[in-house]
Amino acid sequence: MTSEYSMQVLAQLLVSGIAVGMIYGVIAFGYQLTFATSKTLNFGQGEALMLGSLVGLSVVTITGYWIMLPIVLAFGMIQGAVVERLGVRQAIKTKSEAGWIMATIALGIIFKNLAENIWGRDALKFPSPLPEAPLSFMGVNVLPMEVVIVFGALAMMLLVEVFNRRSIYGKAVVATANDRDAAGLMGINTSLVITFSYALSSMTAAFAGVLVAPVTLTGASMGGALGLKAFAVAIIGGLSSGMGVVVGGLILGITETLTGYYLSTGYKDVPGLVLLLLVLSLKPSGLFGSATIKKV
Amino acid sequence: MSVLVATTALAQPIKVGLTGPFTGGSASMGVSMRDGVKLAVGEINKAGGIMGRQIALVERDDEAKNEIGVQIAQELINKEQVVATLGFINTGVALASQRFYQEAEIPVLNNVATGTAITGQFKAPNYIFRTAANDLIQSAMIANEAIKRQGFKAPAILADSTNYGQLGREDLVRALTGLGVKTVAEEKFNIGDTDMTAQLLRAKQAGADVILTYAIGPELAQIANGMAKLGWKVPMIGSWTLSMATFIDNAGANGEGAMMPQTFIQTGNTAKRKVFIESYQAAYKVDRIPSPVSAAQGYDSVFLLKAAIEQAKSTDGAKIRAALENLQTKVDGVVTVYDRPYSPADHEAISNNIPVFGVVKGGRVVVAHEDDIAGDKAVRVKPKN
Repeated sequence: MTSEYSMQVLAQLLVSGIAVGMIYGVIAFGYQLTFATSKTLNFGQGEALMLGSLVGLSVVTITGYWIMLPIVLAFGMIQGAVVERLGVRQAIKTKSEAGWIMATIALGIIFKNLAENIWGRDALKFPSPLPEAPLSFMGVNVLPMEVVIVFGALAMMLLVEVFNRRSIYGKAVVATANDRDAAGLMGINTSLVITFSYALSSMTAAFAGVLVAPVTLTGASMGGALGLKAFAVAIIGGLSSGMGVVVGGLILGITETLTGYYLSTGYKDVPGLVLLLLVLSLKPSGLFGSATIKKV
Repeated sequence: MSVLVATTALAQPIKVGLTGPFTGGSASMGVSMRDGVKLAVGEINKAGGIMGRQIALVERDDEAKNEIGVQIAQELINKEQVVATLGFINTGVALASQRFYQEAEIPVLNNVATGTAITGQFKAPNYIFRTAANDLIQSAMIANEAIKRQGFKAPAILADSTNYGQLGREDLVRALTGLGVKTVAEEKFNIGDTDMTAQLLRAKQAGADVILTYAIGPELAQIANGMAKLGWKVPMIGSWTLSMATFIDNAGANGEGAMMPQTFIQTGNTAKRKVFIESYQAAYKVDRIPSPVSAAQGYDSVFLLKAAIEQAKSTDGAKIRAALENLQTKVDGVVTVYDRPYSPADHEAISNNIPVFGVVKGGRVVVAHEDDIAGDKAVRVKPKN
């Protein structure tokens, strides 16, 4: 093999790794949003993604792709608020350490069963809004939809960040994230902020769902594997940094494809998990996370 | 009152268990099998049943889960007291569940599951029979088709990491070795994997001229779609799961041309098959049978059971088993004509000459080589035991 060919293969692997990694990253971003305000996570994040994508699939046949998007975003916000009200609020109030974990997992299972009853358990094809023929740049092929996933995910994360930094509502979110008690004393309704962060988190997941579905296929079981991978990404990148989950996603996605090609496809998942263990033992707050001390 | 009891005793139905995944990833196979079975039972009951008794199916959804399969087996045996059970789509569920039937001496007709170990799990007297083409037959057919018939020289195997995929991969490698061919790549992926770039690039790099598969619908679709993305197209030949609707629908144009062994193809090339397809379409209001192989094998399994019960003149499990192993009447099925399909040592109704290759064309599975089913080869019959 010529070195030019192997460069081309490497570039192809990197491109595919980035596309996969951004899928992980955009889901992990949702974990980060709720963790920042409430130090809790929605373990049903994968299911939020799945629901968004299946609702999108049902709506898209009636309205077409572009009108479907705001509907799915609205659905995601409601779904996230429901999760917070039913599963998390009580646990935060009683300062329960594990209540929200069990509650969000339980809600995730309920959502999955619900989806199985409505949409069945088969993998379903999600219509692609773009042509499905690959684009080719210097011998490296990429699907138009993969490009959209990468830039769509980046744009969405950027928008959420800008919203948090610039708008008065966003400032309330940031204030709550920095110090919930102080924010409460300043007159910010912190429990509303937390509800809002859950709504925002599920909204990003629902958006991610319709974004990735044309490439990954959709179906009631799509949340499981992707949600778990995204959780690993959130740990690697650090739960306190939006930037961290993007980089974490890219690291995991690229490691998977490179290992699959250069080592063995049977061991594709191993280096990512080793990295996860290393990060947990060396820098538990994640590569980009700032260490937080939880005062008891 | 006594008159009523007497008549119900006379007309007491024959209870037959029917189990498979009617929901979940393999539901298209389970539901087609179930519907095929129900179609046959409907016809038999309408014509007067078996020895004047109606067949009553006891349907249970095993969800493709081993532990649920085991529960169902116990329920069907102890509570429902079925005389036989038809079904099993998933090899794992079959292997976990049929132990209970074997102990209770109740015959099982596996009408879809293909794992080679299924009929060899127990020593004689063995209560486990099959009406599907096992993986040994399929892997040999795949190797033959790719190497001998189509002349490919550098096969790559892509198989999922489940038992189905990995045992199938081993069978395939053995079959290829038998033909003096080595694989150039053997790649693996997990259920739910969405990106096949690494696997496909490795196969491409190794110079593969054909991809042989052992996996299920969604991931097979990702392979076909991944090839289209990389702008690299070699033929896909694989196990019968390439006929799954989840492959055909999700791969779309990229899945066209994929080939797989089939015991039954929805073409209606004999009068009997035509009637079967038309009654299925009419009964379930579909044009394309979701899994024609499962529907046909399910349909035939009922008639095999009927012939055995009639010959045994009894619904006793041991007698039905003995009758199946020494069936005197020919059973004219839609897959084949069953002429002494089983013996005490051989519980496989489908021999390697029965399946033909199907190919995905226009979103359906059609016959790959028309001359395979031409003339008197339309009905392919197992050689005498």
